[in-house]
Amino acid sequence: MQYKIMLIEHNRLLLEQLSKVIENAPDMELEARFQSSSDALGQGRVFSPNIILLDAEIGNATELLQELIGVFPGAAVICTGEKWEAESTSHFIQAGASGYLIKPFTYNGLKEAIKIYTANGMEMDCHAMTFFSPKGKSGKTTLIANLAMAISRTTGEQVGIIDADLQFGDMAVFFNLEPQSTIVEAARDASFLSPLDLRSYYTKVNDKVYVLCGTKTPSLIDRVAIDSLEAVIKMSRSLFKYLLIDVPAGFNPTSIAAAEMSDTTYVVAMMNGGYEVKHVQRALEIFAGWEDCANRVKTVFTRVVPCNDQSRRKLTEAMGCPVEAVMPNAYMVVSKAADNGQMALDLEPDSPLAMSINYLAGRIIHPPAGGTGDD
Amino acid sequence: MAEEKISGVVITFFSTASAVGKTLISINMASELARQGCRVCLVDYDLQFGDVANYLKLPVEHSVYDALAEMKKNPEADIRQQVEQYRYGTICFDVLPAPEFLDQSYNLSTEACTELVEKLRLLYDYVIVDTTSMFSKLNLAMLDISTIVTFLGVVDFIPTIKNMKIGNDTLQNLNYDTHKIRLVLNRSDAKTRISMEAVQKLLGEGFYHVLPNDFRAASESISTGVPLVLSGSDSVLAEEIRRLISRYTNRAYVPGPEQLGSRSEAHHKGGLLGRLFRR
Repeated sequence: MQYKIMLIEHNRLLLEQLSKVIENAPDMELEARFQSSSDALGQGRVFSPNIILLDAEIGNATELLQELIGVFPGAAVICTGEKWEAESTSHFIQAGASGYLIKPFTYNGLKEAIKIYTANGMEMDCHAMTFFSPKGKSGKTTLIANLAMAISRTTGEQVGIIDADLQFGDMAVFFNLEPQSTIVEAARDASFLSPLDLRSYYTKVNDKVYVLCGTKTPSLIDRVAIDSLEAVIKMSRSLFKYLLIDVPAGFNPTSIAAAEMSDTTYVVAMMNGGYEVKHVQRALEIFAGWEDCANRVKTVFTRVVPCNDQSRRKLTEAMGCPVEAVMPNAYMVVSKAADNGQMALDLEPDSPLAMSINYLAGRIIHPPAGGTGDD
Repeated sequence: MAEEKISGVVITFFSTASAVGKTLISINMASELARQGCRVCLVDYDLQFGDVANYLKLPVEHSVYDALAEMKKNPEADIRQQVEQYRYGTICFDVLPAPEFLDQSYNLSTEACTELVEKLRLLYDYVIVDTTSMFSKLNLAMLDISTIVTFLGVVDFIPTIKNMKIGNDTLQNLNYDTHKIRLVLNRSDAKTRISMEAVQKLLGEGFYHVLPNDFRAASESISTGVPLVLSGSDSVLAEEIRRLISRYTNRAYVPGPEQLGSRSEAHHKGGLLGRLFRR
């Protein structure tokens, strides 16, 4: 496809630089270029671009954006800025822009942006979920990996996983991935990345599911600063419709930051005949500090035997608050799947585990009114 | 006074995966050493969700939090006034449980926690430290000051073994003395798809000690609050834990009076023979 591009850029030098990138591209044509918004509005009408690159820092950028959308309904408007900022990006996307691109850009960067933004747009209503566990060995990595697959299959939407377990991130093993880059590099580069660049730090599982893998060795623990992690989560929200975040066990700066930035936090614990219920209750006491805790924090128990609604209700009773879902003991299928880098969901699609996962995926995709399921 | 200057043995239980049995084994080690007449203090440095007090059914009036607060307020105070005591029959040992409230555990400094253990080791023959399953600042400090580190693992599935390998490599990179880190396999004969030999090959070394799987005995001990080695349990797990301790202390295993009589002589023999005799 030939891209006919209208470039609007108030900075004279950048205008030249960006024009060159477009002129040199084999599949792009510089349809028109303007340095001021009034020129773009007054003279732009005689052109017919299918891509408009709009300088987000030009005067009246928002009005201009809306005018352009009205005049060129068939064109995608991508805003360009020198630094990525979640707030201003979100502002332009809400006003109708298809995406936000950091300049100066290369041909490949521009091409990738056009490809992705014209296909999916930028996500604005991402549902971000953090999976918290009081102690390790909660079964949450299994849960997240399978849940991501189930959600993407049911909805056809883009699903991202961030493995923020900074010591022993297992997500790469679960998906049998050989990541070229991990959360360490993404966090390191966060301050000069745009969401689009961040996408390349994710490792692809399939067309819909992407994983930002965890660190390879525990000695890297200190390399991910919390503000960088927050930037990565913020940007990731504009890439995926669903974002699932795996965090280290217990309350620590990472798990707290991720939970704060998520729409829902799942507290996950595995039934091991010990004090799991008590640990979850103690964790919930901390989350109770959030005003909207009841809607925002949900509990999932794994390895529940027998795994049925009666057990869920019993656990609800023991907890004194609703239990969102229970997962069965699926050691054999999970272990076999993990050893082969397959999903338990695929290995045995009719297994009790697959059914429980699909049930929870369904509740995430179509949240029940009232929320608890115990009414 | 001279006696108080002798520095006791610090044994830390560490792992790279949770739920491998650190708490259960550390409780039993404390119990067995106490049964042998040693002065023992068990410290729960799984500060947020520690289970030592839960497993011993110990009400928490003094915790790590209180001990640290007292230490700060009055550096000369006898820290033994700030510990809980676990008692079973005539056997007793001291316990410093994890803080009762989560907000108390969040901001405890590694330096203070380390200083506390250093103080305790002057007061006890053995200080046993239970930890969380990660290379945190606190855990690294504990690994440093420990006499022995029990690196506990289970063989269940690939991610756990990958983490055990990473953990073992990391411990080797820390350059501790060879005999300081004791690689112990727990639940060795649990239903699993991976062989112990394959794991040893991957780790590049053999296990120092292997503990059998006895889920029933372990669960019972957790629900009754009585450590296996004290309850007169003749489970193979209890026996192997005793054997592990006797290897740590270079002492032959000697049953206490409460264990004689009801138990067969086969106990002394151990191993396969011991198991055969009991069945």
